[in-house]
Amino acid sequence: MLKYFVSRMLMLIPMILIISFIVFIGLEFAPADPLTAMISPDQMSSMTLEDMEAMRESLGLNAPMLVRYGRWLVNLLKGDMGFSIVTGTPITNIISNLLPSTIKLTFAALLVSTFMGLLFGILSAIKSNSAIDYISSVLGVIGISMPEFFIGILALLAFAIRLRWFPAQGRTDVGLGAFGSIKYLVLPACSLGLVLAAALMRYTRNAMLDVLNKDYVKTARAKGLPEWKVYYKHAFRNSLMPISVLICLRLPMLIGGSVVIEQVFGYAGIGSRLLTAINAGDYQLVLVIVLLLSIVSLLASVFIDLLTALLDPRVRLGGDIGGAK
Amino acid sequence: MNNQNEARDVLLDLKNIKKYYPIQAGIFRKTVGHVKAVDDVSLYVKKGETLGLVGESGCGKTTLGKCIVRLHRPTSGELRYKFGNKYRNLLSLNKKESLDARKKIQMVFQDPYSSLNPVKNIFTAFDEPLKIHGWSNADERKDRIAELLESVNLRADYMYRYPNEFSGGQRQRICIARAMCVNPELIVCDEPVSALDVSIQAQVLNLMKDLQKELGLTYVFIAHDLSVVEYMSDRIAVMYLGKVVELASAKRLYYHFEHPYTEALLSAIPIPKIGGEKRQRIVLEGDVPSPANPPAGCRFHTRCHKSMDICKTQAPTFRPLKNDPDHMVACHLADTADA
Amino acid sequence: MATALVTKQKRIKKSSLAKRNLQKLLNNKLAVLGLFIVVTMILLCIAAPLLTPYDPGKISLFERDSAPGGEHIFGTDKLGRDVFARILYGGRISILIGLSGALGGMILGVVIGSLCGFFGGILDAIFVKVAELVSIVPQLLLVLILSTIIGPGVPNLIYVFIFTGWVATFRLVRGRFFSLREESFVEACRAFGIGSLSIAFKHILPNCLGPVAVQLTLNTAGFILQEAALSFLGLGVPTGVPTWGNIMNAAKEIITITESPWLWIPTGVAIALFVLGVNFFGDGLRDVLDPSQL
Ligand SMILES: Nc1ncnc2c1ncn2[C@@H]1O[C@H](COP(=O)(O)OP(=O)(O)OP(=O)(O)O)[C@@H](O)[C@H]1O
Ligand SMILES: [Mg+2]
Repeated sequence: MLKYFVSRMLMLIPMILIISFIVFIGLEFAPADPLTAMISPDQMSSMTLEDMEAMRESLGLNAPMLVRYGRWLVNLLKGDMGFSIVTGTPITNIISNLLPSTIKLTFAALLVSTFMGLLFGILSAIKSNSAIDYISSVLGVIGISMPEFFIGILALLAFAIRLRWFPAQGRTDVGLGAFGSIKYLVLPACSLGLVLAAALMRYTRNAMLDVLNKDYVKTARAKGLPEWKVYYKHAFRNSLMPISVLICLRLPMLIGGSVVIEQVFGYAGIGSRLLTAINAGDYQLVLVIVLLLSIVSLLASVFIDLLTALLDPRVRLGGDIGGAK
Repeated sequence: MNNQNEARDVLLDLKNIKKYYPIQAGIFRKTVGHVKAVDDVSLYVKKGETLGLVGESGCGKTTLGKCIVRLHRPTSGELRYKFGNKYRNLLSLNKKESLDARKKIQMVFQDPYSSLNPVKNIFTAFDEPLKIHGWSNADERKDRIAELLESVNLRADYMYRYPNEFSGGQRQRICIARAMCVNPELIVCDEPVSALDVSIQAQVLNLMKDLQKELGLTYVFIAHDLSVVEYMSDRIAVMYLGKVVELASAKRLYYHFEHPYTEALLSAIPIPKIGGEKRQRIVLEGDVPSPANPPAGCRFHTRCHKSMDICKTQAPTFRPLKNDPDHMVACHLADTADA
Repeated sequence: MATALVTKQKRIKKSSLAKRNLQKLLNNKLAVLGLFIVVTMILLCIAAPLLTPYDPGKISLFERDSAPGGEHIFGTDKLGRDVFARILYGGRISILIGLSGALGGMILGVVIGSLCGFFGGILDAIFVKVAELVSIVPQLLLVLILSTIIGPGVPNLIYVFIFTGWVATFRLVRGRFFSLREESFVEACRAFGIGSLSIAFKHILPNCLGPVAVQLTLNTAGFILQEAALSFLGLGVPTGVPTWGNIMNAAKEIITITESPWLWIPTGVAIALFVLGVNFFGDGLRDVLDPSQL
């Protein structure tokens, strides 16, 4: 188990390196002077052209790309992410203000969708061909067919603007207590989670039905095991692996979707900041956010992987898991 | 040497064939050992005969068979095959000769269910090999396919059907017909009936015998079931853990076996009592050792009921018996008994 | 005699597998419904000039923001452009982007997947890593990085989709190849001396096409949704080009959401309906091609 954990963690390092390299290349291509992103604007305003050239030299901006990449990476690790070209604020500040609310949003959406997806997926597998199966199948297909932002806008119109149950514009949750911020979270998290929930439900249903048709489940039934035990111990446990693989595959989409949903609800997270940055041509900020979100999605999928591993006795006991990849 | 082969009318001569599969481990796929699936096998197959190959599961029969049809490249050794009147090593042919040799040696596989491509109808399955091997006329090919299907007692119009429309026995007959479509001389039959119902096994076996007689085919017939092999073969080679331990004519092996392993295999099949003597049942104990790490000395000594001290340290050589040079054994007991 | 018989039978049985599957597909009500929706919508978009007299790009300042009814079925937008015309013409581009992205991704995935699955080795190891990388970065962000590098535009968006869309097909084809290449029918081919590439593409690949087709529907649906999301954010196709996402772009403002629902509801429904059709069809296809029933 420990070995699996460590190897999974070690595999992250090259991944992160490669992603950051790609992002760095993106930065290189961006039509902006890297110097403006590296020093604070106050300092910049008091400089002449010669000063700037000297500065460039001393900051090593004329060095070969790989060297600059290495330096950039080291700076990132030290928490020095440079400055936003447009507002002049240190990127570190922006991130530390906004990233937590985005993580909160995606995590809430993940919880909502996992709960709903598993619940309805399992129900419709157990009661397959019943009304509940039929209804959730239809809703499931509709769910995966709707654009996230369309669901979001409809929810916004219905529950925030018409019914006024929730605030229409969740501009910020900074400074609010845990309870106060929840009302800003409900609509975005539900809209974001709905699509994943629909996909998960369909998948769980199929995976469960698959397992329920296997011989060992029939044997368990024949032995007279109570139905719920058959469902939990045999069917659910064994469908867990493919389900978690699906969640991992879908996770990046969830994080991508958060950008859209934040925009719809005016939710103050890193996603809507990303959009402002793009529109303002604030490349340094854009790419740092992209990098961070990618890393978040990477970490989250490793986390889910490990969680499943903990629940799966084959892995827990140190066996080889071919199915995980 | 060649003269001896000529005299015996040898079609295929295996010389010290070895096939080791590397065992790889770790992220860098380092080779940490070898599965010695076939370890130094020397055999010959006479023209027109059936050479049976028996042994427990995992002893390397399929691997040896696939080396013969060159689906696997042996790790070392020579495969000498008689082309016209010249013997050539199959492992050192050029491209054109190699294709020609493929026409001469074909194979029927163990599992009739995976032997036919599920998305191709029978016609297509036959058509492409025919095309490659020089049947350029489409009508001739179709006639040929019809003829082949009829020769295995199937209707010619089955050729436009898909594999899932056939039973296991029918599929295996189709596979036999497919192997024969390029007019091979030698067919390696890898447990062709072991996946079939007992009731149709005999039907398929008889068909194969008839075809052999009619077309003068040579078979290498693999099975783990001695009674099936005995029925089919002229000579039988008994394999254990990648090595041939005994080789004799089918009739002789049945009553004058020398190797304790053969004895154990034979004792497991019921035979009609001849001469009143009842054969004692020998139960092999323990598992087959891993072919990656075979026991030192005689490979069978861990399970042998006649094992002696010398067996643990010294591997017996595969040698002819004194009184019958066509009967070969690798056992210390056999050699000493006859010495 | 045999030949005569055979020739007679040939006409009847030649394409029985494809025919049988088609028959099964046509018996699947949802699949037929899906196909009907998709085909109808595509035809409507193609026939746009016959269905509406308006030019989707023509700005008419006298008719700004007018509600549905009268001359404009779905009303007009902030610049007085006919929404119905924009949905029809926009559909052309949205569907084009979705379909060609998915098709391109499929071809790339099939080719790379077949080669990796058949030959394995270093090539395979490299592509597995690349695929993992591409799938772990949120696609939306990947599109962002790529469009900073290659710039916006319809063709570029298609390239980006191809670049991100091959992964699923690749995984699928590679996995099927890994199991199929051990099958005896492949060895039978090799025993006849049939070449490796021919075995990979002519013998093994046809066994993967069912799941690949299902994946194609999934990707088409996914890309249409993504184009919509990207353009909604203003990051996809340049705003001048009408696409479903670009039409929805107006709904970023609360005032539009509440006061001019005709601007975004019909478009949203059009997207959802088309994607729904594609998904229905894909589901039906999956049922028909279920290998256990083959
Ligand atoms: N491709 C391979 N890679 C590694 N090891 C292999 C491979 N193929 C076979 N082996 C090993 O080689 C040994 C011999 O296998 P082989 O298939 O030849 O046995 P067999 O006698 O045909 O058995 P059976 O009667 O079950 O068909 C076995 O231990 C098997 O595990
Ligand atoms: Mg075998």
